[in-house]
Amino acid sequence: MADSPEEIKKHVKLYMLIGVILFICTVLTVAVAKIEWLDFGERGFDTIDMVIGLLIASLKATLVAVIFMHLNHEKSMIYWIFGIGLFFGFCLMAITAFSFSDPIYFKDFFGR
Amino acid sequence: MEIPYIVEPRKDTGLNNSKIAIWLFLASEVMLFGGLFSGYVFLRIYADYPWPERTLPVLPGLINTFVLIGSSITVVFAWVALKLREWRKFQIYMSITLICAALFMVLKGVEYKAKFGHQAIRLDDYTVIEGHAYPQEKDGDKKITKNLNIAAEQILIDLKRVDDTYYETLGEQYGDQFVLAAELKLESSETTHEKGTVISKELIDAAKKDFLIGVANNSNINIAVARQASKDASKQPELKGKRYYDTARKDFILKRTKELKEEQKDNYQNVSSTLTFVAKEGTVDISVNPRWGKLSNPKEGEKGTLKLKDETLISGTTADSSITMHVDGIDFRHTVMKAVEKGIDPEVAINNSWLLKNENMKLIWDKHLVSVAKLKEELDAKGKKPTDIDLYRINWQEIAGLLDKSVEELEAMDHAEIAALFPGDIEGFAGPDHYKVHYPEVIVPREQVRFEAVFSPRWNTYYATYFTITGLHGLHVIGGAIVLGYYLFFGRKMFDSNPEWLANRVEVGGLFWHFVDLVWIFLFPILYLM
Repeated sequence: MADSPEEIKKHVKLYMLIGVILFICTVLTVAVAKIEWLDFGERGFDTIDMVIGLLIASLKATLVAVIFMHLNHEKSMIYWIFGIGLFFGFCLMAITAFSFSDPIYFKDFFGR
Repeated sequence: MEIPYIVEPRKDTGLNNSKIAIWLFLASEVMLFGGLFSGYVFLRIYADYPWPERTLPVLPGLINTFVLIGSSITVVFAWVALKLREWRKFQIYMSITLICAALFMVLKGVEYKAKFGHQAIRLDDYTVIEGHAYPQEKDGDKKITKNLNIAAEQILIDLKRVDDTYYETLGEQYGDQFVLAAELKLESSETTHEKGTVISKELIDAAKKDFLIGVANNSNINIAVARQASKDASKQPELKGKRYYDTARKDFILKRTKELKEEQKDNYQNVSSTLTFVAKEGTVDISVNPRWGKLSNPKEGEKGTLKLKDETLISGTTADSSITMHVDGIDFRHTVMKAVEKGIDPEVAINNSWLLKNENMKLIWDKHLVSVAKLKEELDAKGKKPTDIDLYRINWQEIAGLLDKSVEELEAMDHAEIAALFPGDIEGFAGPDHYKVHYPEVIVPREQVRFEAVFSPRWNTYYATYFTITGLHGLHVIGGAIVLGYYLFFGRKMFDSNPEWLANRVEVGGLFWHFVDLVWIFLFPILYLM
């Protein structure tokens, strides 16, 4: 944790820079969705657009977590607490992924 | 009492307690929002209707993203100011953060308001039309056309289910126009209401009370009878030692129960669960908001019933319950999906749809076909194909843009020229403006309506998740702003006595604020752009 005033002062510039990157990334997300020649893959929304959109969002989220929330220099206790939360958060996502193999979605499950 | 470890770190964790606490809370928040996102993905993957992707106006969402990122920066600066013991700077940065929070909520409010004022109807053939439902002048009277109308002859109240629905919706307006169809004897209170007594809340309540007392009384007799019969069976020498499943014992009990019931004949109370009222003079024209009831037969001029939420049946002749819509969106994707399932050609299905039997709607569709043909030419050159949304959905920009052009004029234009006619994002900040553009009108008879709702959580699972997640996120913004506001307005005393403690508090509040920003970073692309 940057605690001395001198160190904190040094960080101000970094915070500004991250802010600018976040703004640029936001514009980029919209541009990829709205501008035709930036639309990768098929026309309209498709898997590639989803991947690009989520990648940019993940990058932004990481920057916020690492720089603004000071996760770049934190005590291991915090990493454990947040890591476990994140792990179970992903588990909840995984449950959705498992539902792909749920027999209820097989076409002939109900003898139809 | 002194609170330990609020400034200096604990030896075992190396952190102050408030920081551990906020991170525990944030970990639980990650799981909460993770679950909601997971639910959204599940609903979207298995949706059995075309997903309304990219339907929200992007500009308010984009501005809100800027606002939240901006506030995330200022909240860090506010913390830095406190660390450097600069109270004035802290005040400035924290004030900007709070202004950003307020701006975010205002924009959210604008967005929500536009949604709640925007009507959608799924027609019987699954065509979706969007727009505004307008009150229609009829015989000089203003009549809200969304209402269900019926010329009522009779009201049948189910005493088992009745609550205050009738009185909340219709009682005050039509209460004195219905009277008892037959004499009503209330045995428990030994009162009689003559045939022709005007319907009233007291009367229904008394009848319900009498019904419940009667049912309780009769049940008590039945229980006593069953007990007596069982006791008598045990006294019979030939049934000694026989258990309840023995046939001879069962037969005896049945016979004895019958006898005992016959003896108790006079103690039973007459109960009827229905109460009938008829219109005093022929029929009464009833108009009710669809949220309270449902028409069994929506066809105008035919016999039918209007069933209220508490099973109160209003029977009579269905009156005109059509909805006048100023259409700013047409979506044939669901129609096409259903047609393809049945093996019907999409074009045939669309051309046979009820909507295109309306002249002005047909005109819009014809213009759309020209526009799509131009788009196809353009895309062919690039080796791309139009999407289902291009082909089968007409959004408000297209309707507004093509309104004044004729089919011939459009045919002479190329794709870029046509696209230039569509209004931009700023013009339709939160959606179509019905004051500026007079969108074409269509009158939808009630029997064509499969489902109607404003763009509320009711309309579809997309809007249900949109309102759930953004609503919850909005509550987080409000909560965070209250906490940060507290530091701003009531923090001076602490700043003077223990500035490091205040800095820690702001850091913890700031961590929550960054998390709120982090959730929005995912919400914005997922809900607005995908």
